[in-house]
Amino acid sequence: MEEHFQHLYQALSHVDGYIYPNEIDLHWGLMIVLYPYITGLVAGAFILASLERVFNVKVLKPTYGLALLTALAFLLVATLPLVSHLQHPLRSYEIFMTPNPTSAMAIFGFVYLWYLMVVLLLEIWFDYRLDFVIWSKKSTGFKKYFYKIITLGINDTDEKSAKLDDKLGYFITVLGIPSAFLLHGYVGFIFGSIKANPWWSSVLMPVIFLFSAMVSGIALVMVIYMVVSWVRKVKIEMPVLDTIARYLLYILIIDFTLESLDQVHRIYEAEESFDIIKVLVGGKLNITLIYMQVLLGTIIPLFTIGFFQVYKPSEKIRKTCYFLVGIMVLIGIFFMRWNVVIGGQLFSKSLSGFTSFNAVYSGLEGYFMAAVWLILPLLILAFLLWLMPPWKKVSFQG
Amino acid sequence: MPKVIFRLFSTFVVFVGVFILIQQYLKPDSFGKYGHYRANAINDAKLIPLQYKGEKECITCHQDIYDLKYSDLHDAVSCESCHIPKILATDACKTNPPKVEGSNEFCGQCHAINAGRLKKGPPQLDFKDHYEKQNCIDCHNSHAPWELKK
Amino acid sequence: MGTEKIKENRRKFFKSSVALLGGTLLYSLLKPFELIAQNKEGAVKEDKANDTLWGMGVDIETCIGCGKCAEACKVENNVPKEPFYFRTWVEQYTVKNNGKVKIESPNGGIGGLKQSVPDKDIFKSFMVPKLCNHCTNAPCVQACPVGATFISPDGVVLVDATYCIGCSYCIQACPYGARFMNPVTKVADKCTFCYHRITKGLKPACVEVCPTNARIFGNLRDRKSNLVKFLQKKQTEVLKPHLNTHPKVFYNGLSSEVK
Ligand code: HEC
Ligand code: HEC
Ligand code: HEC
Repeated sequence: MEEHFQHLYQALSHVDGYIYPNEIDLHWGLMIVLYPYITGLVAGAFILASLERVFNVKVLKPTYGLALLTALAFLLVATLPLVSHLQHPLRSYEIFMTPNPTSAMAIFGFVYLWYLMVVLLLEIWFDYRLDFVIWSKKSTGFKKYFYKIITLGINDTDEKSAKLDDKLGYFITVLGIPSAFLLHGYVGFIFGSIKANPWWSSVLMPVIFLFSAMVSGIALVMVIYMVVSWVRKVKIEMPVLDTIARYLLYILIIDFTLESLDQVHRIYEAEESFDIIKVLVGGKLNITLIYMQVLLGTIIPLFTIGFFQVYKPSEKIRKTCYFLVGIMVLIGIFFMRWNVVIGGQLFSKSLSGFTSFNAVYSGLEGYFMAAVWLILPLLILAFLLWLMPPWKKVSFQG
Repeated sequence: MPKVIFRLFSTFVVFVGVFILIQQYLKPDSFGKYGHYRANAINDAKLIPLQYKGEKECITCHQDIYDLKYSDLHDAVSCESCHIPKILATDACKTNPPKVEGSNEFCGQCHAINAGRLKKGPPQLDFKDHYEKQNCIDCHNSHAPWELKK
Repeated sequence: MGTEKIKENRRKFFKSSVALLGGTLLYSLLKPFELIAQNKEGAVKEDKANDTLWGMGVDIETCIGCGKCAEACKVENNVPKEPFYFRTWVEQYTVKNNGKVKIESPNGGIGGLKQSVPDKDIFKSFMVPKLCNHCTNAPCVQACPVGATFISPDGVVLVDATYCIGCSYCIQACPYGARFMNPVTKVADKCTFCYHRITKGLKPACVEVCPTNARIFGNLRDRKSNLVKFLQKKQTEVLKPHLNTHPKVFYNGLSSEVK
């Protein structure tokens, strides 16, 4: 606690203008930046997989299973930063026991459960059930038991059952697209519904969150596809990359348009809060917003991929560029979340002053923990890929 | 109905059922009596011990000072405005008296000149013009300020 | 004939199952409304039984910014002494001759506010005590995910310290900065109008110690209370009315600079 006070005294000496005394403590830190970021990756990866399935984009076949497993790995971690940020983590079950129907955060718990249990797990299950049955016969040890249990005792391997799986999986996918939209639109709503904070309170917030989620998810799958292919020492299929990059381009354009619309709207209406937001964007958020989010995360990727649509350089160059663009987009979207979450707390609700963000390294809210939450899903993904490799699936359609 | 659907659906139903059961079990007792909260929390909020007990508690020992205070212009100022009770002061007033130091700083809390309080409430003084080097209580009695000592 | 019969049976079966399904659906649709209706009735009954609705008036014209209220609040409610935790505090606004507004509240005003702008630059200056506004449409109550903060039947916004999970969402939702995360109890903390005092017939600590009666506490439903008289006599306003929170703390002499 003493250490915390020390931090606050430090922040107090950096206060600019007037802020309410209770606002010196930034209540939402790095963990709440990670939470929409990771949820966004989930929704984005899932939507990419669904695009392939529902619109039958054959080229993207190699990324379908990968995207689903990525979504699962990140979804399992998504709420952990949120819980670790709670002051009373052991009471978190209350969100499910007595959810307040008017609270955006409470209903999120159910949206999350719905998405995890009904959509994602089911879709993966339908996709893999047949393979589980087959694999359970071939493998030994832990894997065998796992496959046995996970089939829920349905051991049909004939074509009819496979067709049924496919049909039901398709149904779930169709159900899943609005669910994924809901999941991440909802995260946007958690912020967009706070009328006290003019930087958050915007009807466009859920939509912006949704599209930025899709951008980040698609970029993530692209990068993971390249890395996994590289690790497995198989050739990266260029049409796959090109198609994903094209989707990335489209969504990036929509995302950028929406975000610009939001800002233009703010600038033109120039409400009471505009004066302080202007100073915020020009000052404390300058680097993270203008350089990291807009330039690195949006403009450069837009122009790079846009250029590739007109002129296609050699595969090697494109591969490198796609990889770099993917990383840049991921960094850019991270800073987009940062600018929303941290930026919204840097200025006072009295609209007449600023506090500052104090970086901590250790502790439950520090950089170290943040790194853990970002690496953990990758480890889970590696485990999932080992347990149920999408490239070893059998398929009746050939 | 195909076996798959049946099995999954029943798993789902069982899951929801167990969830609702746990929910009933873990919901706190008085939850939802008046609204979406624990009604007993209202009583919890009443249970905090009092620190400020009011002037009436003070006069059991200090009737003289009370009378003195009421004879003069500090009558509007409650004892506890100046004498901030330490924890549970009135229980342990004798052992742990809520002493205050009569300093210029102390009187200045209410009497120092400030553009924001001019022409309202107690008179404001520019201490530089009002016996700058001396302590207020050398001349004024803190309980009856017009009872000048010299 | 046999097939006819079967068809008829089937039709009957369909009809009854559709009716059953529709009935269940309708019931499940109506159920929440029924609950709401019940709640409303209950609330109305409660209102009749309950003739108290606490509120506060703040007179900016008489506040001298001595900070005794902020100090008393911390002592009474055991709020940490560090200058980052306040249930109530006093701000000093100084409008300068060049039109700029300077707002200050060092240590929440505890120890008395001191003017830092030289006299010749001052256009006007005044003190504004701030506290939880006990909104009728409280955004914090709306936002709390678990129902750990609520409006009591007598109109006070309270926090259930044994139930709060410490997510800080209510703190973000409060437009007035009136909430903070208590570093000791690790739950959201805020002004309770000194609920433990007012339910015993005492005044809140801040009202008790105010030397100039700048804070008027009372029952909004009692026509004879000081608060109602204050509201009738003075032109009062609330903070940030555009947010439609309907506060129960009313300010007399509120200037447009106040935020
Ligand atoms: C305007 C502020 C103020 C108020 C109001 C006030 N006091 Fe004091 N009191 C002081 C100060 C300053 C001192 C210490 C300096 C002194 O001795 O005058 C003091 C000293 C005392 C002392 C110890 C000194 C002595 O006289 O032996 C007692 C006992 C006391 N006060 C009781 C009371 C009581 C009882 C009340 C309410 C009826 C009260 N005070 C109201 C400011 C105040
Ligand atoms: C909590 C605020 C407070 C403190 C502290 C305080 N006073 Fe006062 N004082 C008042 C108020 C209120 C009045 C009454 C003004 C009135 O009724 O006109 C007053 C009145 C006076 C008056 C009479 C002024 C007149 O109108 O003729 C004097 C003298 C005085 N105080 C001296 C002191 C001294 C000396 C101290 C320090 C021991 C002190 N005060 C501390 C609030 C305070
Ligand atoms: C040397 C003794 C002395 C000291 C020290 C002293 N005063 Fe006075 N004070 C007086 C006398 C005498 C008067 C009445 C005549 C006057 O206004 O000068 C007075 C008047 C006042 C008044 C009333 C002024 C008015 O306009 O009605 C206040 C208030 C006051 N003093 C407060 C204080 C405070 C606060 C301090 C400490 C910073 C203080 N005094 C220190 C002697 C003193």
